Amino acid sequence: MSELVSTIQKVLAETGLVLGWSATGAGGVAAPERFHTAEEAEVAIFDSTCVHNLSVHLPRLKGRAVGIVAKACDARSIVELIAEREVDGDQVRVIEVSCTDTLDVKAIWRRYGYGALIEDDGSELRVNGEPVEREAFVQAKCLDCEDRQPATPAGKPVPSGSKPANARQQLREDFQAMSVGERRAFWREQYARCIRCHACREACPMCYCRDVCIMQTTDPHWTGGGINTAEAEMMQLIRVNHLAGRCTACGECERACPVGIPLMLLMEEQNRAIEEMFDYRAGVDPEAKPPLLTFDIKGDSWDGE
Amino acid sequence: MAGTARMKQPGDLRVIRLPCTGRVNPLLILKAFMEGADGVLVSGCHPGDCHYNVGNYHARRRLELLQRMLPAFGIDPGRFHYTWVSASEGSRWAGVVSDFTRRIEALGKIGAEVPANALAKAEQTAMTDATGKTTS
Repeated sequence: MSELVSTIQKVLAETGLVLGWSATGAGGVAAPERFHTAEEAEVAIFDSTCVHNLSVHLPRLKGRAVGIVAKACDARSIVELIAEREVDGDQVRVIEVSCTDTLDVKAIWRRYGYGALIEDDGSELRVNGEPVEREAFVQAKCLDCEDRQPATPAGKPVPSGSKPANARQQLREDFQAMSVGERRAFWREQYARCIRCHACREACPMCYCRDVCIMQTTDPHWTGGGINTAEAEMMQLIRVNHLAGRCTACGECERACPVGIPLMLLMEEQNRAIEEMFDYRAGVDPEAKPPLLTFDIKGDSWDGE
Repeated sequence: MAGTARMKQPGDLRVIRLPCTGRVNPLLILKAFMEGADGVLVSGCHPGDCHYNVGNYHARRRLELLQRMLPAFGIDPGRFHYTWVSASEGSRWAGVVSDFTRRIEALGKIGAEVPANALAKAEQTAMTDATGKTTS
């Protein structure tokens, strides 16, 4: 029995419910799972296909004791949820797992077909039995992760200094180099693919308004019913605004997006602005006062008045 | 005050009255841009002079964040301005709105900064999936 399973079983004895993963997804990848009994928990796993941020389920479980298996990035979401009183810190038992990186399962399947068998022992990644280059299929957020300890294939020295350039960094640099007008065109091009499935909202742990979300109110009419670029653009502006000072950059919106819109570009931009303005990062301190819920009479003057 | 003193004000400015800048949801500004407004000006009571005590302190943070985010959304930050003008500052008001309208006139219609070829490309690739293949 793995250490993870016995830890989950120990927590289960106290809480009666643990959120984790089992290898029951297509092609043997991880799928989110609720464990209620020690017997159920025997199938619990943690590997690089455990991409989901399970803390998205916590607000709906408020009021009952619950255990949750969490990576370092997921743990930040839990901290932020506690800070916003959406989760009761006393009732949540976090089982932290150490993580090297997680895989972009969708990218692998796009390349090798849906349900292709993914095997990963932590250093070598095999798809349908064939070894493939790992870096190409690691989630973008993991490549940038400060907590990441890259797995090193035996005998290969760890490259020191700056991290290797990746597709994400390239996109970020390209975006920075664009003029304001080109950026608008860039977003319109991206949003044109949006099918308004609202997966970005559903996957986000901080989007817990559920039935009172302003994306589905008709009075006031913030977004219409149409599936078009203009509605998608407004939708994302709403999302960015409502996550100001709250986004922990877990990257779930982008991972959940079925049409591959680089949603994290805007979130990163906003997180950077907030860090500059308020020296604040969401999901670090459960006691911190969210920057947009407070003010500083003297320190907030940016226009010299 | 600016009106009763017969001060000259631009005619292409639509004034929307709200109780306090604390009421200004940044989304109202973004929605205005999405619906085709060429510029948005937010003017409130001076910090420290809020009728509701703290409304403009909250607004200041939100508006400044919006100002910094506009370039990332693809909207020229020059199209947005926030300022503080009290009810007794009629001449200041007339100056602020005249300057702002002049600035917007110089920038032209919203979308004027979007390169035409980039926009055409955006429409052309409307139905492609993440791999760049045309889906239908």
